[in-house]
Amino acid sequence: MGTAQQSLVIGLDIGSTTVKAVVIDRSSYEILWSDYQRHHTKQPEKVLELLRAIGEKHDVIGCPIFVTGSGAGPLGEPLGAKFVQEVNAVSLAVERLHPDVRSIIELGGQDAKIIVYKEDQHGNKTANPSMNDKCASGTGATIDKCMVKVGAEPGFATSLHFSTHALHHVAAKCGVFAETDIVNLVKTGVPKDEVLNSLADAIVLQNLSVLTRGSTLKAKVILLGGPNKYLPFLQECWRLRIPETWRDRGYEPPAGIPLEELIFVPDNADLYAAFGAACYGISLGADDARYMGVDRLVDFMANGRRARLGDKAGPPLAANEAERLAFVDSYKIPKFAPPKLGPGDVVRGVIGLDGGSTSSKAVFVREDGEIIAKAYQLSKGNPIVDAQDLLTSIRDQVTAQGATIECIGMGATGYAADVLEEVALADVNIVETVAHMMSAVHFFGDVDVICDIGGQDIKVLFMKNGDIANFKLSNSCSAGNGMLLQAMADQFGIDVRDYAETAFGAALSPVFSYGCAVFLDTDRVNFQKEGFQKEELLAGLAHVLPKNVWQYVVQIPRLASLGRKFVLQGGTQYNLAAVKAQVDYIKERVPDAEVFVHPHTGEAGALGAAFETLRRFQRSNTTRFIGIEGVLALDYETRNDESTTCHFCPNECSRTFIDTKRPDGSVSRYISGFSCEKGTVESNEAMLEIVKLRKQTAAEFPNMLNYEARLAFQHFYEPEPLPASGTMIDDIEVREGLLRIDRRKIRRPFERSHRDLSRVRVGMPRILGMYSEAPFFRTYFEALGMPKQNVVFSDVTDEPMWLEGSRYGSVDPCFPAKAAQAHIHNLLFHKHDPAKGRALNFIYYPLLNYVPNFVTDTMDNVACPIVSGTPAVMKAAFTKEVDFFAQRSIEYIDAAASLEEPNYLMRNMYDTWGHRLGITRDESDFAVRQGLIALKAFNDEVQAKGRAILETVEAENGIAILVLARPYHSDPGMNHGIPEEFQVLGYPILSIRSIPKTREYLDRYFKDELETKKIGSPLEINHIWPENYQTNSTARVWAANFAAHHPNVAVLDLSSFKCGNDAPTYGLIDKILSTSRTPSAALHDIDANKPGGSIKIRVKTYAHSLRLHEERLDDVARRKLELELSIDRKRLELLEGKQRQLAAMHRRDERIDTALDAVRARIRSYEVAFKPEAPIADPSPKLVQIRRRSASDLVTA
Amino acid sequence: MNSPVKHLPILNQPEFDDIMAELDAFEAAERSRLGLDEEPVQFWRDEMVDLTIKQTEVADTTLLIGGLPKLADILIQSALKPLGYSVMYLPEPDHESLRYGKEFGNRAQCNPTYYTVGNLVKFLCQLRDKGMTSEEIVRKFAFVSAGSCGPCRFGMYVTEYRKALRDAGFDGFRIMLFQEKGGISQDGDQPSEAGISFGPKFFMQLAKAVYAADIINGIGYRLRPYEVEEGAINRVLEETKRLCCEYLEAQRPILLALLKARSMFAKVELDRTQIKPKVGIAGEFWAQMTEGEGNYRVKQFLESEGAEVRIQFVSEWLLYNVWEEGRDLELRVGLRENDIGTARADHHVGTYSIAKRRVGLKVFDIGMRATFQMFAKAAGFNDYKTQDVDEGRLTAEEYYPSELRGGEGHMEVAHAIDNAVKKKANLTLSVKPFGCLPSSGVSDGVQSKVQEKFPGAIIAMVETSGDGATNFYSRVQLYLFKARELAEAEVAKALSETGLTMEEVRAYLKANPKLNDPLHLPPHRAACTAADVVYQVHDHMTSTPLSRARARTTKLAEDTKGAFSVVRKAAPTMWQGAKLLAEDLRLEALDQIERRTGFRRAESQARV
Repeated sequence: MGTAQQSLVIGLDIGSTTVKAVVIDRSSYEILWSDYQRHHTKQPEKVLELLRAIGEKHDVIGCPIFVTGSGAGPLGEPLGAKFVQEVNAVSLAVERLHPDVRSIIELGGQDAKIIVYKEDQHGNKTANPSMNDKCASGTGATIDKCMVKVGAEPGFATSLHFSTHALHHVAAKCGVFAETDIVNLVKTGVPKDEVLNSLADAIVLQNLSVLTRGSTLKAKVILLGGPNKYLPFLQECWRLRIPETWRDRGYEPPAGIPLEELIFVPDNADLYAAFGAACYGISLGADDARYMGVDRLVDFMANGRRARLGDKAGPPLAANEAERLAFVDSYKIPKFAPPKLGPGDVVRGVIGLDGGSTSSKAVFVREDGEIIAKAYQLSKGNPIVDAQDLLTSIRDQVTAQGATIECIGMGATGYAADVLEEVALADVNIVETVAHMMSAVHFFGDVDVICDIGGQDIKVLFMKNGDIANFKLSNSCSAGNGMLLQAMADQFGIDVRDYAETAFGAALSPVFSYGCAVFLDTDRVNFQKEGFQKEELLAGLAHVLPKNVWQYVVQIPRLASLGRKFVLQGGTQYNLAAVKAQVDYIKERVPDAEVFVHPHTGEAGALGAAFETLRRFQRSNTTRFIGIEGVLALDYETRNDESTTCHFCPNECSRTFIDTKRPDGSVSRYISGFSCEKGTVESNEAMLEIVKLRKQTAAEFPNMLNYEARLAFQHFYEPEPLPASGTMIDDIEVREGLLRIDRRKIRRPFERSHRDLSRVRVGMPRILGMYSEAPFFRTYFEALGMPKQNVVFSDVTDEPMWLEGSRYGSVDPCFPAKAAQAHIHNLLFHKHDPAKGRALNFIYYPLLNYVPNFVTDTMDNVACPIVSGTPAVMKAAFTKEVDFFAQRSIEYIDAAASLEEPNYLMRNMYDTWGHRLGITRDESDFAVRQGLIALKAFNDEVQAKGRAILETVEAENGIAILVLARPYHSDPGMNHGIPEEFQVLGYPILSIRSIPKTREYLDRYFKDELETKKIGSPLEINHIWPENYQTNSTARVWAANFAAHHPNVAVLDLSSFKCGNDAPTYGLIDKILSTSRTPSAALHDIDANKPGGSIKIRVKTYAHSLRLHEERLDDVARRKLELELSIDRKRLELLEGKQRQLAAMHRRDERIDTALDAVRARIRSYEVAFKPEAPIADPSPKLVQIRRRSASDLVTA
Repeated sequence: MNSPVKHLPILNQPEFDDIMAELDAFEAAERSRLGLDEEPVQFWRDEMVDLTIKQTEVADTTLLIGGLPKLADILIQSALKPLGYSVMYLPEPDHESLRYGKEFGNRAQCNPTYYTVGNLVKFLCQLRDKGMTSEEIVRKFAFVSAGSCGPCRFGMYVTEYRKALRDAGFDGFRIMLFQEKGGISQDGDQPSEAGISFGPKFFMQLAKAVYAADIINGIGYRLRPYEVEEGAINRVLEETKRLCCEYLEAQRPILLALLKARSMFAKVELDRTQIKPKVGIAGEFWAQMTEGEGNYRVKQFLESEGAEVRIQFVSEWLLYNVWEEGRDLELRVGLRENDIGTARADHHVGTYSIAKRRVGLKVFDIGMRATFQMFAKAAGFNDYKTQDVDEGRLTAEEYYPSELRGGEGHMEVAHAIDNAVKKKANLTLSVKPFGCLPSSGVSDGVQSKVQEKFPGAIIAMVETSGDGATNFYSRVQLYLFKARELAEAEVAKALSETGLTMEEVRAYLKANPKLNDPLHLPPHRAACTAADVVYQVHDHMTSTPLSRARARTTKLAEDTKGAFSVVRKAAPTMWQGAKLLAEDLRLEALDQIERRTGFRRAESQARV
């Protein structure tokens, strides 16, 4: 063996985007050779290139070789290398080079790692790693993609410096969400330095709040990986945010060392894993890992890879060429051939414009419905520019033939619709779903299912009687869509138009797991690594599309139940590979299905808007549209700076103002980028006006969720005073024997401690189960003599609170549970203020494991394990490194309290508070009883309000929206204000708690089932769902069943991302509501970030369905009235006939006379109420008002 | 809502019959004209709830089972056959099962749900693909499984089974459930014509199969890492499985089969001086139990990476369930009034109900432990102490309140601490499904503090989602690397403390084959088995047969003394107890007299 073989070691790091290689000296650990290169998904080729380069400089044949990285797996064997886990490699490198480092942050291409060193009493360090391999938060790939979206020129990012001057909201939890936010920021004109700084801040905060698992990143902190090395603004952001956590947690970094050294980026930051792999090899002294040249690697690339693929692969897109040709023949979308126009022709028609998130489309449709011109372009971010470009194109297409346009209206849909309605006075502004529906129905008539796959989202509409009966939309999570196919094609340098042809060429395809786009990309990397070729990957991805649509988004496994006539539309349908996969998927499940592709698939939305505009014009014969030339002449200015930031709430939304001047001199301002109505105004006065209007609407259309959320934490029940010492009370004496327990009634004096609790303060988090049970705990303490202001709840969840207090969590459950850390933080850092005499003595977060239920036939009444376990998790989070409670002399109490067992509860509460407050058992028991009375009063009060709403909507044929959610979704920070969106549209909002639970009220709706003995009580649900041991899930299912039985109740189903207790009820609730045909909309997967666009489109579409439902209700009510009248008229006729008959026989029956009088009186009263000529009620929302309740408990005017 | 049209009362009189008839006809015509004769609103009810197999159907029905470790499923199949049922275990869930689960189940489920539900649906769909009609399948098959009362999704599996089966076109497929905590006689919950008896016989057979599977699996994982000839242990395991099935089907005592297995295991040659990090598996029940793709075959993977795996047993999880019942009982004993109507308090109501239940649970607990040990002794699975759940409660108390239920409850945290403190494993690998409520949502949060308080211990929490195997393996390798370092350090320490070299240890073992008996476990001193071997060899070298005999005698004496001291300490309490017992008996006797003679004592009149 030569000297080189004894002294050199090769380390390779084959990552998801790059390959790094080092050759080191085994005695000095000096790096003798290194390189770092992007592999563009050609890992083996790049490795080969690097090894050849090494070979030119060093004689490494026979040297030990070690590989690490996510792409290293299959290459180890052909290289003769041993695999080293990458975190091990990185930590070994750091331990060798920087023994004083306590924390490592490595951002890789597709994952991020944080390693925190813990030291035991002997000074031994243990590395505690944490990796984000489950959900792709901020990583190099995300940054790369965003860099492209921002349009950063080379060198821009590497010279950018971090500034907190203007940071915008970016959701870094998921790479796809981040991308969406970035696109929106770019579109609203936010400068790229602000966008990148916002992204960096979001990534850093996300890593600090999730990936550290609540551990403090103690100094020294080393920053590794490509992004950390090359992006100074990212480094600076770490240097700003990490010391903030040090200050919060009272950690003192080593003194006298500048911050740049405490948090530092070493030279060769990108080579650490490769270096560490080599170090590992040296420590191992392994003889079985020897580099024997590149021959085996070359062989592997040529033969080995492919040989292993067959077993795991899925089928090709088409079994043979004949099948492919037949398919292409029947599904190829015919090229659009506009009608020939003659010089001098005047074409009268309307414009339809669809401003989508990635592309914008416009059509010009002649009065007779014929499409004259189409235009398409990628959205440039400014809707006015997009509209001007499209209209220019349309105009030019017509004028090029010598014809002229007479524009009689314009309709818009998509994100640009609001702007165009405002500045161009578009006649129609419809939501995308409705536009797509109109377009499909126009071409295909009686359609059952419309599936629209756009650039960023998937919309599936289920039709009934020519209208949308239900719909499902993607984009709450980033399931596959058009962009995904485009991105994949881009990665292989294939024009998306050639996608299908390439994919059809594959003889097999890898089986991707469907769902999140980020995971799909991880799969892609793995498949590539295994040797799949690009055409196979493209085919595999096309196969994913239908799964994402039908299994991930739609979630209706039995496609046949939806009908048999399917229309596919949206830009993605140009890709015949995607269409083939879709058609095959549908036909496999619905053999007699007819699957059509919209002939103008990309412009379906624009066409829908145009058809609706035509309909409007034909009815009203007027337009307010400023005309094509008017739009082209629009003068506008876009502003997004400090002056446009909204300061009306702590969210400080960064808004964009688009000031437009029309040719006629009129001006308008369009404001975007806000997250609530307050953002739509500029002055305080205008804001106050908005708030006033909002309050007025709220009074007219009550929102029981808001009311309940407020009432739960207020002092609203005045507890009775504690009995005087010695007051005789009834009690039960318990005598426990070894085998038997005897109880006997006794009378004895009440025992008082006479403790003064007026200075004791208890803090409780306003979170999770407390939204149900807070009245009990507040009253318990108040009944013991604690002043009401001393029972302190944390603030309502909002974004600033979350951002401030979210860095303590060690787990990543649903957002409602994660937010608990922000609430405990709020209590510790804001509510506890000894300087102002407002110190907290206790923070009490009871472990609520059993909660009462109104459903009568349950198996058990348990709380969600996360809800009951979060107090323990919080205790761990806030005491693991630093005991934040002890630091402030606060005692944290997470004792169990079972609220469904009053006697056991008394024991729990006394065990918890007896010794702490120095109270007697009698006092504690008394306070528990008072607390339970308060809880009942809370429920009664909410139900009384709910009953008034229900009776009013029933009397007025209106609709109330019942929100199916867990109690804590009343928290505005949890529900993202979605119920309010409907409230503003004029629908009163009911919570589950607010439904009256008395038999007296409920029996009427369950009459048939009660009479036929199918159920014994309306409060039973075993016939629907026997696995009903979980209180809030049971309540959701029961409430859905109630909605099914009440004609005036529609449903809004809200559920949090990762809610394991709601998930099993999704299908059940869907079944209940679809069987009774109750209108419903669902927003599952609610998380920390508010997907504004997604919420908006759902609200608008659902509002459309609700208006139709209201019309139907009105219609049915009117027809029923007509029926009654008609029957009474007939009755009158028959009775009169009978009377005449009797008169002829000289007989008279007084009862007939009485009956006739009654019928005539009734007919007169009907005629007053019923006017057959009256038009169908205006679909605009009606005012539903809560009337006063009379003593008889009936609603009166 | 019901019809709003009200007939006038006078129409009930006979002379108006003609008017009434005409009005009815008119109303029908009008309803039709006005479009009001639509079908009335339908309400959903689940017709698949409570479907049973009738006695007449038993002969033609195959019961499908599944969801436990594969060996347990196989043995259960054999164990239930003698009861007259035709039983078939489902193949181990694979990725295809996950795919079926995702397609037909609800979104956002945990992967044990997807795998188990998908596995059943997959099996049935495959039958249909082979030509059976859905109706035939529904008629000829039924699924038997355990049900639960939560608090996590585990209790809602059946909801999911019904949904998936219905959506896959198997409407009316029968799912038979027995309750995991329902005791050994659950026939009372069944309709009288039910063909499957969930009585003592059924559960005894089930228990035999589960215990035997546990023990065999335990031996397999204990011995396989050290086998000298690769595959030797698996061959014996196969033979043992065959024997057990044969004995169960023939209703011969299964202990005899285990005894036969013992002699086979004893013949396999082992080398326990190989340094292998010991990995204690903990976490969510299904994710850690299964041996298929549901946890990426993590146990096999660990063995292939050179680790010894310390598994947990199905029967230990049952012990946790029994403990839960007992604990809930004890927490509520002596309340002034019982909270009647709640799931936990109903059994407190009577004067003697608590005592009865206490005795019942204790007998059950002792019975389960004794059965385990009996099976273990028979098969040669020596020196294994079944988990003490209440001791675990005390271990975990500071971190994880035992009132928190779901999954493994406090035992996950207790295992992690125990493995660290008592050196039971070099690495605790806590496996859980992505988004598991009790395990990844609560236990992991608490364990982050445990990690902080035991900085030298390696506690790894890994989630399984069904995809992303590469990342999963990578994480496991990461921790295993650290665990290997710990194991090597333990062995190095043992060698340095004893002054031996590994070669000397091996030579001594060769000379003293008794110490190298596969079924003999070196006394526990370190987590790594090789370190224990070193200490044992050293102890053996430095002692004489006489001193060893003396040591054994001393240990026996100490144990006896310990037991005596327990008795002595407990004596006053026991005396007190005896007095209370006597008082109870006196009162009971008086009660009996009252009932028979009508004589009333003053004190009894006030009794509640």
